[in-house]
Order: sequence, then C-alpha cells, then structure tokens
Amino acid sequence: MTALQSQKLKPYLYVLPLILLLAFVFGYPLLRIFEFSFKLVRGIDGPWIGLRNYELILGQSLFWESVLHNIQLLLAIPAMVVISLLISILLYERITGWKLYRIIVFVPFVLAIPIIAVVMKRMFQFSGPVNEVLRWLSLDFLALDWIGSSDVALWTVMILIVWRESALGIILFLARLLSLDESMLEAARLEGANWWQRVWHIILPQMRGVIEFYVVVSVITILAAVFSYVYVVGGGRGGPGTATMVIEFYIFNALIRTSLPGIAAAASVLLFLVSVLLIFPMFRARRRVREEEA
Amino acid sequence: MDSRRHLSRRDLLKTSAMLGAGSALSGLLPAFAAQAQDKTLDMWWWGEQELPGLQKFVDSSIAGYKEATVKPMLQDTAVVISQFQTAAAAGKAPDIQYLWNGVYHMESVWLGYLKGLKGLVSDDVLTASNPTALSRFGGDIYRVGWYPLPMFWCYNKTLFEKAGLDPEAPPATWDALLAACEKLKTAGIEPLGGGIQDGYWSEWYITHSLPQNLDTLGEAVELFIGEKDFRDPKYHEHWTKLAELKTRGYLNKDMSSLELYPGIDLVAAGKLAIGQSIGTRLPADSKATGGKIGYMTMPVFGKGKLAGVPVVDVQGLGISTNAEDPKTAAAFLEYLHSPERLKAFWDATGWIPSNKNFDTSVIADASVRGLWENWGLKPNISNVTNLVPGQFYERAAIPTGQQIVQGSMTGEQAGELASNTAKEWREFNPDMVENYRKWALDLSAPL
Repeated sequence: MTALQSQKLKPYLYVLPLILLLAFVFGYPLLRIFEFSFKLVRGIDGPWIGLRNYELILGQSLFWESVLHNIQLLLAIPAMVVISLLISILLYERITGWKLYRIIVFVPFVLAIPIIAVVMKRMFQFSGPVNEVLRWLSLDFLALDWIGSSDVALWTVMILIVWRESALGIILFLARLLSLDESMLEAARLEGANWWQRVWHIILPQMRGVIEFYVVVSVITILAAVFSYVYVVGGGRGGPGTATMVIEFYIFNALIRTSLPGIAAAASVLLFLVSVLLIFPMFRARRRVREEEA
Repeated sequence: MDSRRHLSRRDLLKTSAMLGAGSALSGLLPAFAAQAQDKTLDMWWWGEQELPGLQKFVDSSIAGYKEATVKPMLQDTAVVISQFQTAAAAGKAPDIQYLWNGVYHMESVWLGYLKGLKGLVSDDVLTASNPTALSRFGGDIYRVGWYPLPMFWCYNKTLFEKAGLDPEAPPATWDALLAACEKLKTAGIEPLGGGIQDGYWSEWYITHSLPQNLDTLGEAVELFIGEKDFRDPKYHEHWTKLAELKTRGYLNKDMSSLELYPGIDLVAAGKLAIGQSIGTRLPADSKATGGKIGYMTMPVFGKGKLAGVPVVDVQGLGISTNAEDPKTAAAFLEYLHSPERLKAFWDATGWIPSNKNFDTSVIADASVRGLWENWGLKPNISNVTNLVPGQFYERAAIPTGQQIVQGSMTGEQAGELASNTAKEWREFNPDMVENYRKWALDLSAPL
C-alpha cells in the first residue's frame, strides 16, 4: 500500500468503530424488523409468510383510518407556522414584557408531553374548566365533548400539538430573526414601510430556509412522534372508538396489546420508509438555512 | 521476670490449627443451615398497582419462607405478558410468573411456556384457590388463584332513598332497571353510567351483559372462531340494551370524557346512582359512604343460563416450563395458601385472598363479607372478556361501547363491527383459531 493510499484510508479507520457501533445499535434492529415483517411471529420468532403481513395491513380499514388521522393532523402545521412566526416576530420587536413572554412560550416545550397532555385532558373534560368558562360566557354551543366525542377528539389532539410544538418554531424563528441584518429593516422603516410590509418583503424572504426546515421537522413529528399526545388524550387507546388512532399507536397495539409482532414490524417498515423519504427534504432545508445564515 | 509468654513455633502452629479448625467449623455450620436456601426461585409478579399492600405481603412471605430463596421482581403493567414470553422463548423465564386470567395466560400455554399444575400443586390448593374455568386447557390447569376480583353493579343507597326506591332491593330485571332509572331521573339524579373514556367501562359492560344470552363461556369463544355470529340479535342484544339506556337519557352526560375510576367515584360521591365496580374498591367506598354502597348483579334481560350469575375474576400465579425445580416452585405456591399466609394477605392488603378456606370472620365490613359470601363462595362465572382476543378487544369490545355511549352507533352496528372484527382476527391469527376451538371444548365442559 502506498503512502497516499494509507493517507486516504486513515479517516475511514478513525470513524470505523463508530460506524460499527451504529450498525450494531441501529442497523441490527432495523434488519430484524424487516425480517419480522415477513414472518408470523409468536414469542420471538415464527414461520416465513412472505408478504402476508403487508397484505393484511393494507387491506385493513383500521390501518387506513390511522393513516388518515396522521394526514389530518398535518393540518396543524400551517397553524403552527403562522403562530410561531407571529409570536417570534413580536418577541423580536421587543414588545413590552417580551422577556417574560419569551419564557412563557418556551415553557410548553420544556415540559414533558405526558404532563401537558394530562393537564390539558382535565381542562377539556366535558365538565372541565374550559367548558365551564364557555358556559359562564353563555357560549354553551362551544362547550363540546372535547375528548369524549369521536367528531371532536382528533381536533383536541391537534390543538394540543399546535400549542406545544409551536414553541419549537418560536425558538427556531427567533434565533434566525436575531441573525438578520437589522440595517435593512431600519432602512425600510425610514422609507415608510409599515409593519406588514416589513414582515412580508424583508423578514419572510430571509426566513424561507428555517421555515422549510421547521415544516419538514413538523411533518416527521406528526407522522412518527405524536404517540404521547394520542396515548393520553385518547384514553390510552386511540379513542373514543378509533377516533384518534394514528400509525404509531397502531404499531404499539399490534406489538403490545394484540400479540402481533409481525404486523407491528410490517407497519413499522412502512412508516420507516415514509420517514426516510422525508429526511431528504429536511437535509436540503438545513443546507438552505446554513447558506442563508452565511 | 518477663511475664509475657513468648509463642514457640509449636504454639503458633497449634494456635493456627485451632483457628483454622474453628474457621472451618464456623463456615460449615451456616452451610448446613443454609442448605435449604440453596434452592432459588425467581418470581415475576404484578398486582401492587391494583391492590396496594401486595408488595408487603410478597416481602413478608419471602422473608418467612425457609425452603428456598425467592427473588421477586415487580413487573410494569405494560410488559407483564411480553416480558415473560420473550424470556420464556429465550429459555430464561422466571420459575413463578404472575398471570392474568383467560387469554392473557392461555397464549403462553399454547406457546408451551407454562407448566400444567395438576399433580404438581396439591389438588386441595388448586381447587380452593379457584383459578377459574378460564385456566383450563386440554384437561390441565395452568394457574393457582391468588386474589379474587368480584365484579358487580354498584349503587348509591342514599340516592335510591331520595328517588323513593328501596335501597335493599335493587332492580333485578331489565324492566325494573328502566323503571328505577326513570324514577331517579325524575328526582333530578343522573341514573346510570360512570366513565368510558379509557375504555374499561366498555369491557366491564360486556363482562356483565354478554353472558346473559350464553349457556356456557365456551359459547363466547365460538363467536370468535366463527361458529356463532355477533350479527345474530341474541349476541348483540347487550349492545342494543346499552343503546336503549343512552336513548332514554339515563347515562351520565360526562361519561364519554371520564375514565373508569373517576366514574365510579361519582357513585361513591352521591352524584350518580348506579355504576359498575369491582370488589377491591368496595372496602374503601363502603367506608367512605358509611355503608351506603350497595351491589347487585346486572339486571337480567337475557335468556341464557349464565344470566344473573355473579362474576368473579381471579388473578393468579403459574409455573414456567423453564423452571429448573417445578416442585419447589409448587411448594412455594402452596405455602402462599397456608392458613397463616391467607391471614397475612388480609392483614397486608385489606382484601380477600382467593381461597375458599379463608376465614371470613376477620372481615369487619358487612358489605365486604356479604360480597365475598355471595360472589366468591356461591356459584359464579369468570370474566368473559378474558376470552376476548386482544385484536377484538381493541378493535371492537372497547370502541363499540364508547361509540354507543356517545350516540354514534346502534346495537346492530356494534354487532356488525364485532362480527367483522372476529373475521379479521381469524385472518390475522390463523394459527390461533385451532387453539381457541380446543379451548371452547374445555370451557363448555362441566367443572
């Protein structure tokens, strides 16, 4: 081996232990999940059944119902973006008491989801504080069965997601705002641009990258990380009925409650493949953020 | 002269020899004493979560047991089954395992992870502990009963009095129930319900109502394996009855947003007249209300032989096929049912152990004693929902009740969903159907 060749190999040798470790920690379980998805697993193994698990899942109305609920929850993202933008810009402009507000809006993100969800669940009970206030304001028609009605429960989960996940948006957007060139805003102000014009023509174009990044992260969150919200608000079952069932919960039920590890593995593989597809736009968005900041 | 004595080499050797012999002897004595302790048992258990004080009982039992060293591990609720099955598949299951009733342990039986207890545990203990019919398969029994869970409909006697109902004569038939609910409603009292948000009320409702049109518990299994059909009005009548309660406005308004136990609290707090409850709650509820909590079987509407029969579920313990010394494990289970341990169970938990020989004279509360005498010691049936496959439980048993209570499903639609889900379960679990078929034979056989 020439000196040049060994020089080229050196960096790979440095990272090799870490690659091996990652392959063991993530790669092996992933391979097992793929393997299980083609088996009728009982206990820790079972006979090979080809694509039967996928066939069963894709032919089951509950699976598609879960997918639909995940898609419906994606509607939360525009709301999260708008709320996060609005609040971060207000904080950026240092309205009176902005330091206190900044702490308040960050609090939901610091607290664990189950804690928030349990508190919110109590708030949204049919005889809970939210409805009591609405009734007191003579808004009885708005006093819904927030967590007990199949028509409303998913929207309640969505409200909770918007409330908590917007905090991440605020943190990201505020960080980006603080790195903007203030001279442009100052110049616009001197030219007589009003608040809306400054936001639309100066701030938003410069934040495109970070907004894209936040949207992609939020899509992944809603597809693959809303289990805790649904578990608490949906009574631990994705209920009422199957009104808040999402894919993650479908997998959990298959694995833990219905003793179908093969089905859980097949659904996990499908979710994994969708998530992988979304990771590419996320990397692109991150690159754009870095370029903008540079 | 120097009074200090110098040790010669001989003296040193003698002393060393004596010290050595002493050490050896002192090492041997505990070895003899600990010979019995050489036997070690691993015990994975659950139950402190639903019966506070059980940990104390387990600890004292282990401390007092001299025939073997028992190493306990309290399991998390979510992994009681999966942890055991994974360990058993790897050949590392504990000797003694906590087992919920019915399918929750029968699946492990079918996978070959549990030992049959006939001939291993004494017949006296097996019978007295009432492991229930749901622990029988292929002529063997796979659990020793540990503690019972009598299941009943509870009612608030004070509210009954307010509505002009006889608190000592709760409704026994469906018509009598409807009449009572009407009187309660007229008196401004929410008549019936609880909390169904977490789904367990739905399960308990099936526990009490589905058997009303069954002659044996095996008949319920036939519904899952396709020999009977939930679309037959007889097998979804219980859901039709629930829908009737909803339509008539007898269910509490916040039922859909409350969980099971806060719902039962409403009965104890005098805000709801009738609900569903469980034996382990009765001592506290009876004490809190000054004995004003009554209990009854679900009023009868069905024509099956099981209609109106009290329900008693029983939690239990079994022995894994990985156990190196099953006889030692069996001896420990028998020890837990010794008269002294039965008394200790009551002292630690304030609840009754599952043993027909338990001396009920220690129970001070008349309601609790009455419940045990009428539910535990008289003919009873086990909880039919323990026969329900997990997939059916999650997809049909729980959602049907929740949707009927919120008014978005009829009894017939519930029957349709249940039938389709049973079919779906058969498609997802072709290997389980035959086991269920065999199990139905055990469940239909006389005890």
